[in-house]
Amino acid sequence: MSRRMVKALLLVVLLTVAAGFLGIAEGKGEEVIRLSFWYSLGGTSGKVVQSLVGKFNETHKTIQVEGVYCGGYAEVFQKVSAALAAKTPPDVAQIGGAPLLATTGAIVKLQDVISKDKTFDKSDIWDVFWEYNSFEDEIWTMPFNNSTPILYYNKDMFQAAGLDPGKPPKTWDELISMAKVLTKDTNNDGRIDQWGLNTHSDTHWYLTAMILQNGGKIVDSKATRVLFDGPEGVQALQLWSDLVHVHKVMPAGGHMDAITDFTVGKLAMFLRSSATLKTIEEGAKFKVGVAGMPAMKEKAMTIGGASLVLFKTGDKREEAAWEFIKWMTSPESVAYLNQETGYIPIRKSVLTLPSQKAFYASRPNAEVSARQAESAKVVLFPELGWSDEEMRKAVEAVELKKADPKIALQAAAGAVQKAMDERLGKK
Amino acid sequence: MGKKRLERLAIHLVLVAGGMLMVFPFLWMVSTSLKYPDEVFSYPPRWFPSKPNWGNYINAWNSAPFGRFFLNSVLTSGAVTLAQLVTCSTAAFAFARMRFPGREALFVAFLGTMMIPHQVTMIPNYIILSKLGWIDTYYALIVPFTAGAFGIFLLRQFFLTIPKELEDAATIDGCSYLRFLVSIMLPLSRPALSALALFTFMREWNSYTWPLIVTNSTNMRTLQVGLRFFISQEGGNLGHLLMAASMIATVPVLIVFFLAQEQLIEAMTATGLKG
Repeated sequence: MSRRMVKALLLVVLLTVAAGFLGIAEGKGEEVIRLSFWYSLGGTSGKVVQSLVGKFNETHKTIQVEGVYCGGYAEVFQKVSAALAAKTPPDVAQIGGAPLLATTGAIVKLQDVISKDKTFDKSDIWDVFWEYNSFEDEIWTMPFNNSTPILYYNKDMFQAAGLDPGKPPKTWDELISMAKVLTKDTNNDGRIDQWGLNTHSDTHWYLTAMILQNGGKIVDSKATRVLFDGPEGVQALQLWSDLVHVHKVMPAGGHMDAITDFTVGKLAMFLRSSATLKTIEEGAKFKVGVAGMPAMKEKAMTIGGASLVLFKTGDKREEAAWEFIKWMTSPESVAYLNQETGYIPIRKSVLTLPSQKAFYASRPNAEVSARQAESAKVVLFPELGWSDEEMRKAVEAVELKKADPKIALQAAAGAVQKAMDERLGKK
Repeated sequence: MGKKRLERLAIHLVLVAGGMLMVFPFLWMVSTSLKYPDEVFSYPPRWFPSKPNWGNYINAWNSAPFGRFFLNSVLTSGAVTLAQLVTCSTAAFAFARMRFPGREALFVAFLGTMMIPHQVTMIPNYIILSKLGWIDTYYALIVPFTAGAFGIFLLRQFFLTIPKELEDAATIDGCSYLRFLVSIMLPLSRPALSALALFTFMREWNSYTWPLIVTNSTNMRTLQVGLRFFISQEGGNLGHLLMAASMIATVPVLIVFFLAQEQLIEAMTATGLKG
C-alpha cells in the first residue's frame, strides 16, 4: 500500500480528531443557567447588543447569556428554521416579523407570561409596538429594535438654495417644490450633480408609508385580500413616478448609492430608516437636519425592525430567559440602544429619563425621530416579505419606465394575492 | 519581425487592460483597508489613503477572535480538501477503470445529485447532524463535504484519457488496482487533482450559510461568518475594518491559488486540446 495514500488518510483522521478535541475543550456550566441568544445586528449596532449582553452577564450571577451573532434578519430566520426542524431552538432570538412564528408552536406566548408577571408594566410600551408583536390579537413576542423612515436633509444646501434650514417639508407638495429648488446642474454640463430627493434601496417601505398616508390599505384586517393596488396606492406610485419623470428631482434606480450621495453632499433630502441616524450624523461634514416623513392626506408611518422571541425550552430556562428579555427592554437598555444607534425608544418613560433629556438636548435630531412612534402604523401579515419584494419591483419598473404605475402595482398585488390564496387554501 | 512585434504589443495591451479590470476590485479592497473611516466614502473617491492606516488590520483582528476563525477555516477547508482528494480519486477510479454491474446507472445517479440545490438538503442534513449531536462541532463543518459528485466526475473524465495500455502493462507485472492508482494514475493526473483541490478549498473557504447554521459558539465560527460581524442590518457598516478583515481572509486563498496555478493552467490547456 502506498505511503502517500496512508499519509493523506492519516492527516484527515488527525485533523478531524484534533478538531473534535478543540470542540470538547469548551467548558460546560455547573449550577448557572446558560442561555443562548441569537441576534441579528452587526456593525455598530451589533457592538451595542454585545455590550448590553455583557452588562447583563455582569449583573446576573446565576444566568449567563451567550450572544451569538447570526447575520441579518433573513439569516437568523434560516438558522432558527433549521434549529426548529431539529427541535433544538435557542432560548431567545432576535427576529424580524417575529409574531408570525406563533404558528410553529415552538414559541412561548408572551401574553401569558406578561399577565403573570406583576413587576412588568405593559402600558409603558407604546401600543403600536405591542400591535407589531401580536398574532391574531394576542401578544407573542417582545418589541426590541424598531425604526421608522425619516427624512434626512442637508441644512447647508437648504441655506444655499435660499430655503429655511429650520423648516423641512411637512407635506408632499412642499417636498416637491423644495426638491425642485434643490436639484441642480452646478457645472452646466446638462447632467444633474445635486439631486433634490432620493430614498434608500428599501423602496417598498416608503411606498407603503405613502399608501397609508394617502388613506389606502396594504391588506384587509384579516389578511385575506391584497388592497395596495387600490386607487390610493396607484396615486402614491404615480407620485413616485412623477418625482422621477415629471419633476425630475429624483434619479431613476439609484437607491443603492443614495447614502453615499447624501453623506458626500450630492443629495439634499434622503428618506431612510431612523436607525441610521448616528452613522449619518457621524459621516456627514455638513449640518444634518431630520424630520418626519412628509404627510399626504394624513400622517402615517411604517415601522420596521425586530423583536425578541422566547422559545419553549422548559420552565426553568424560560423563566431565566424572560428575566433576560425584560432586562434587554428595560428603560435603561432602551435608552442606551436609542442613544447609540437611532432605533426609536419603545417605552414612553424613556423620554423623561434625565439621561435621555440630556441626550436630546445635545442631539435634537434623535428626539425628532423618537417622536415618530406616535404616528406609526403596523403592517404585518404572512406574505409581507413577498409583498415587499413585489413592491420594490413595481417601483423599479415605474422608475425605469417599463410599466405605468397602475399596471405595475396590479401585477405586484396579483402575485401577492396568489401566495395569499395558497395559504388560505391550505388552511 | 516588426509586424509581429506590433501584433504582440497590441495583444498584450488588451490583456493588460483586461487584467487591470479583473484586479481592480482587489486593489480597491487593499486601498480601502488602509483608509481612515472618513475617507471610505469621500467624494471624489480617494484612490489612495492619505496615509496608510495599518491600525485597521490590528483593530479588525482584535474586534473578534479572528485567530480562532482563521484556524477553524484552515482546519475545515484543509480537511475537506484532503478527504475529497482521497474519496473522489478512489471513486473516480472505480467508475473509470473497474467493471461491475450497474456501474453506469450508479454514475448517473451520482451526477444526478449535482442537480439538487444545496438549499434543499440543508434542513435534512441539519436534522441528521443534530441527532448525531454534531451541531457546533468540527464534524458538522467537515463530514458532510468529504465526498462530492463534481470531484468524482472531474477525475473520472481525466482518468479516462489515460491510456489503457499502461494499466495492462502494470497488470502483467502483477500490479494491484490500488497500487496502479497510487503509483501511476494519480501522478499522471496531477493537473486534475490540483484543480479539484483548488476548487474544493475555495468553495469550503468561502462557504457561509452552512457554517452559520451549524455553529453557535464563537469558537466554532469560520472566517466568512466572522466577516459578517462588520455588516449591519440597518445601521452603519464598518467599511474600512470589513475590508481589512477581508484582506486577511483572502490571503490563504491566494496562496493556494498560486501553488496550484501552474498545474491548473496545464489542466485547462490539456482538457481544452481534447475538445
